[in-house]
Formats: sequence, structure tokens, C-alpha cells
Amino acid sequence: MNTNTPHPTNTVPSASTVPSASSVASENAKGAAMDPRPVLLDINKLSIEYRTKRGKLKAVHEASLRIRKGESVAIIGESGCGKTTLATSIVHMLPRNATISGGSIGFFPEGKAEIRLEALPEKEMRAVRWNDIVMMFQASQSSFNPVAKIRTQFLDTFQAHNPEISTDDALNRSRELLELVFLNADAVLNSFPHELSGGMKQRTLIALSLLLDPQLVILDEPTTALDLITQKKILNLLNSLRDSCGFSMMFITHDLGIVTQLADRVVTMYAGVVVENAPTADFFSTPLHPYSQGLLRAIPKLNATFEQLYSIPGSTPDLVDKMDGCLFAPRCAHCHARCLTEIPALRQTDNDRWVACHLYEEVTHGAY
Amino acid sequence: MPKRLQFPLFLLRKLLKVAFTVWVVTTLIFFLIRLMPSNPIEQYIQNLVIQYGMSYEEATSRAASLFSLDLSQSMFAQYLEYLKDAVRLDFGTSFLSPGVQVSEIIAARLPWTLFTVGTGLILSFIVGTALGAIAAYRRESWYEPIISGLSSFLSAIPDFLIAIFLILFFGVFTWWGRGSIVPIFQLRGNYGAGVNIGWNWPFIKSVLDHSFVPILTYFFSQIGIWVLLMKGSTTGCLNADYAVIARARGLRPRKILTSYIGRNAMLPIATEFAMRLGFIIGGSLIIEQLFVYQGVGLELLKATTNRDYPLMQGIFLIMTIAIVLSNLFAEILYSLLDPRIRVKGGSKHA
Repeated sequence: MNTNTPHPTNTVPSASTVPSASSVASENAKGAAMDPRPVLLDINKLSIEYRTKRGKLKAVHEASLRIRKGESVAIIGESGCGKTTLATSIVHMLPRNATISGGSIGFFPEGKAEIRLEALPEKEMRAVRWNDIVMMFQASQSSFNPVAKIRTQFLDTFQAHNPEISTDDALNRSRELLELVFLNADAVLNSFPHELSGGMKQRTLIALSLLLDPQLVILDEPTTALDLITQKKILNLLNSLRDSCGFSMMFITHDLGIVTQLADRVVTMYAGVVVENAPTADFFSTPLHPYSQGLLRAIPKLNATFEQLYSIPGSTPDLVDKMDGCLFAPRCAHCHARCLTEIPALRQTDNDRWVACHLYEEVTHGAY
Repeated sequence: MPKRLQFPLFLLRKLLKVAFTVWVVTTLIFFLIRLMPSNPIEQYIQNLVIQYGMSYEEATSRAASLFSLDLSQSMFAQYLEYLKDAVRLDFGTSFLSPGVQVSEIIAARLPWTLFTVGTGLILSFIVGTALGAIAAYRRESWYEPIISGLSSFLSAIPDFLIAIFLILFFGVFTWWGRGSIVPIFQLRGNYGAGVNIGWNWPFIKSVLDHSFVPILTYFFSQIGIWVLLMKGSTTGCLNADYAVIARARGLRPRKILTSYIGRNAMLPIATEFAMRLGFIIGGSLIIEQLFVYQGVGLELLKATTNRDYPLMQGIFLIMTIAIVLSNLFAEILYSLLDPRIRVKGGSKHA
């Protein structure tokens, strides 16, 4: 195993995968000013466990992240790293065998008092869902009740949160939103889900998600199962809607291309741990965590042959086992003695970015 | 094709198919019946010769005047004759009770069978689907294994065993020195002796008393399958994407259970129910025999034992028509319930 120690002066490992020290320094200087926007969602040291036959599986371990008003945050990482678990825990839609075992989720809706989501009773949570926080799961192709017209499903949503609203008002609002996503509102409202194409369904779902003016929209792989052109259209639509409606967004993806188009900020997760949190531009120009560096290196290049494709060696650890050191250590090229014994904390390296890696301890400004 | 013509045309096509199916089945029945050993008219003639000492010719002419059917004709000629009459729903007269129209016998027996088997089917469907849905929604409760276990158990027992058990339970066993729950004579026949047939309370009460255990038999013999079908179907819909999204949309749990999960889970079950309606007429042979219940099933059994060709043909034809029509009904019902397979014309919109 490679036992590289951090470079004494600029703390960047000498490996060629990391850009030069000067570029890191200049990025750090640029992001010096704190983001002035108010925080909308504050996830603090959140841990989620699954009860399994083999014991407790730590799907998410002390994850922390903030989403500011109007911000778009991408959560990336390989399958099984806890992205979806983290996102679904916000609206309490975890599978039955999962529990939030620690930490807090603070939600600060505009004009309302803070809501502590981690311990919110189901009844109150029902009022938050879709009204304040929209969670859109994967597989939007089957998100609609196949035996009911779209119109009924829009009205059902109003009915659940605002029973006083008149059918006419509800339909007008539905039409308005469907037109906003460039659909023929009346035709769609009178259709059954199977009569819509994949892209239309996705856009209808987006219109439905904005029906109650939510403050946070969570999307789990918003463009999977769509062709590239439709994907592009949906991404443009989401961006323009975010500008016009002013909601914040959290989305989960494997596709780094989507990240560049949609995200202000990238949160990288590895084995249930947030390993890096950085503005999108910084993340792509100077990824700090060795895992992030590996992810970016693994993007196939057009002119590369099959043999030149890179993948991070090894595989993700078993989350039932007890963690002793950094979870990425067994796969890390820069692993040293400390990595095997001490879990690195998520530390701020700059005003606006955080990393959980022992390589960067010297430049941190304190814990998250 | 104009849109308003689509449903009538669809129905016409289906009805033609129904007519064709019924014709094929009746033809098969006609010839199969005649493949059975022994000739009933010959037997009747022999009977007259032996019992009344008639001459063979005398007996033959007597038989010919009694029965509209001439079994000495060629098979094909008989078949044509039969078809001609069957189209007018004239099945001829019974061999067993000479001079009585087959249609009269069926008309007299059919309501009893429809009443008992139909009530059993509807009750088992309502209770079974409700229990099945509960078993699926509450699949971590202590009573879910009990519901599912009992259902598997019941659906595995043949209906005549259930009937025998119920006869023993209600009519034979004595409980704490008090005698049986139901007097055993109430487990035989359609109504008690000495009641006036008509819309009077003693008659209705007697009918209900006599039909109670048969209906219970039909109920228990079918409830298991409804529970299991509904449980499976509901479980499949519980974690469907639309149900999860409905929850994320903040819909009330009751709304999700009824409009989203229940509605979709009922699709295959409703079809199954509609198809089973057709088996009401034929599905009661052994049970009616055990309870000596004078219904179509018992009549068919008697007709078959005695080679009463016209009566057998009549009952089989009615059974066939019922099954084929209920299948058509199932098809129409399904297309009404599920918009995805609805008959539709052209593209609806761009």
C-alpha cells in the first residue's frame, strides 16, 4: 500500500492526478466570501442504519450538508453509497427497516418557524411532503396511477393539502404549470398516464411537483430512462424553472455531465460518508478527496481506447463491519498509517468547501 | 372509422365469436352424449315390453309418440333437427319425465342454483377480497399469518369435504347435550314439507334455513382463493412507484389505499370474479347431491345417469352460454376498469 504523507508546504500529494498547488490556492482565494443566501436545509451529522440479518448496516454515517435558498446541490457517488437513503430520510420515506440513529435535519422554510424533520411525527410530515419538500423518486415513468386521468391526480394532490380550493382554481393552477413545462395542458389533463410519452410524463411530473410551490425539490436520478435529447430538454427546463420559481434543489445522479449543467455545488459520498462538498467549478477543476479525483479520472474520454479507461481499484467496503479508519483507505493511492486508524472528519478547507481526508488537515479552518 | 361506431362494432364482433363458440361446444356435446353406451329409448321400449307386456311394435310406437326424438334416424339428421330446435331454445321433452319440456325443468331448477351458488360466490368475494387486502396492508401483524394460513388451507380442501364437515358440524354433532345446531332434515332439500310455495314468510324462512349450510359450503370453498388472489395482487401494488409517489405527494393514507393501491389491485380480481359468474350454473353438482338440493347440478346428475339426452343437452347448452357470456362480460369489465386496454381509435393528441 502506498504510504504517501502529505506534502509539508502545500498539502497536496505529489501524485499527478491532482492539479498543481498554485491552482488550488487560487481557487481557495476566489471562494473566500461566504454565500449570503439563507440556509434552507441543514443536515447535521445524520446517521441512518438499516437492520439486516447480519446486523446493523450503517448506510449513512454522520453526514452533514447545507442547502441554501435557491441553491442546487448534486449528490454523487457510486451505487449503495447512501445517496438515496440520505435523500429519502428528509421526507421520512425510508424503508421500514431503516432508522435515523443520530444527527438532525433542520428545515427553515421562508416565513415559517424552523421544522426539525428528523423527529417529526408522521401526521405533520404528511403536511410537509410536496407542500414544502418535494421528493421525486427514480422511475418517473411509473409515477402516475395507471387507472386515473392526470387531471384526477393533480386534483388529488390539491385535495390532500388544501381541501378548500375550488376545482376550477386547482385546474387553472394545473394548466398554468403544465404550460410552464411546454405541454398542451388540456390534452394532458384529460389523458391517462399510458397515453403520454416518457418525456411528457417526466415534464408532467415536474409540473405536478411545483403545484404547491415547494421550497425544496429533491430529485433521485431525474433523467434516467430518458434519451439524451429529452434529458437535455429536462435539464434546461429544471434550470429555467429554478430561476423563475426560486426553489432549491437537491438531486442524486451518477452522471457527472448532469452535475455540470444543473448543480451549484457537488457533494460526494462514499460508503455512507460525505467525503467532499465543493462548488461545482472547484470540484471539477481541483477535486480534493482522492475518491473525487478517481471519479473524475473515470470519466471516459472520447479519444481513449478501451484499455485506457480508468476505474478506481477495489470495491466499496461492507457497511455492516465496524469502521476503524477512513473507509476509502483500502482503495486509496495516498493511504498512510493514520488513515487506517482514524476516521477523517469533514473539515472546511476554505469558506465554501469541505473535505474529509487526512491529507488536508493542515489547511482546514475547523470542523464542519 | 368513426369513433361512435367503435364500441357497437367491438360488441358485434365479440357476440359473433360467442355464437361461434357456443355452436362448437353444443356440437361436441351432442356427439359426445351419443358416444355414451346404451340407448335410452331402446331401454324405455324394453321396459314397456317387460313391465306391461306390450308387443315390441306397440311399445315402439308408444315411445315415438312420447318423444319428439327419433333415435333410429341417422346421427347427422338428428343433429340438424337438434340445431334447428336449439336455436329457438326448444330442447324437446325429457326422457325421464316424458311429456315435460326440458326448458320447463331448467326454468324450475335454475333459480335455486343461482340463489345458493351465487350468494356463496358474492359473499366469499366480498369477504375474501377485504381479508386479502387487510392481509397485504398489515403484513407484519400477528393475524396476517392466520388469515393467509387458513386461506391456503381452505383453498386446498375439496368442496365436498367442506360440505361433509359442515353437515357433521351443524346437523350431526350434538353440543353440550343440546342436540345439533340445525335439525338434520333441514340439510336436505330446498324447503321443508308442508309450507305453501309463494311469497310468504314460512316459505322464505324455510328456504333460508335449508340454503344456509349449502351457501356456507360455497362460501368456504371459494373464500380462500379470493383472499390469496387479493393478497398477492395488493402486495404487488403496495410498493408500486405510483403508490410511493402518492405518499411523497402527501396524500392521506386512506386515499392511497383506496384510489391508488386498492383500485389497481382489484383489476385482475374483478376479471376473475366476472369469469366465475359463468360457473355458477355448473359448479354445484356434488354439493347439490350431498344436500339433495334440487338445483341444476342435481338435475344434470340425474339426467346423465339416466341418459336423458334432451335434458343433458339443454343443461350443457345453458352452462356453455353462461360461461361464454361471463367471459365476454369479464373482457368488457376489464376494459372499463383499465384504461390501458380500452378500445380506442386513432391518436388522441400530439
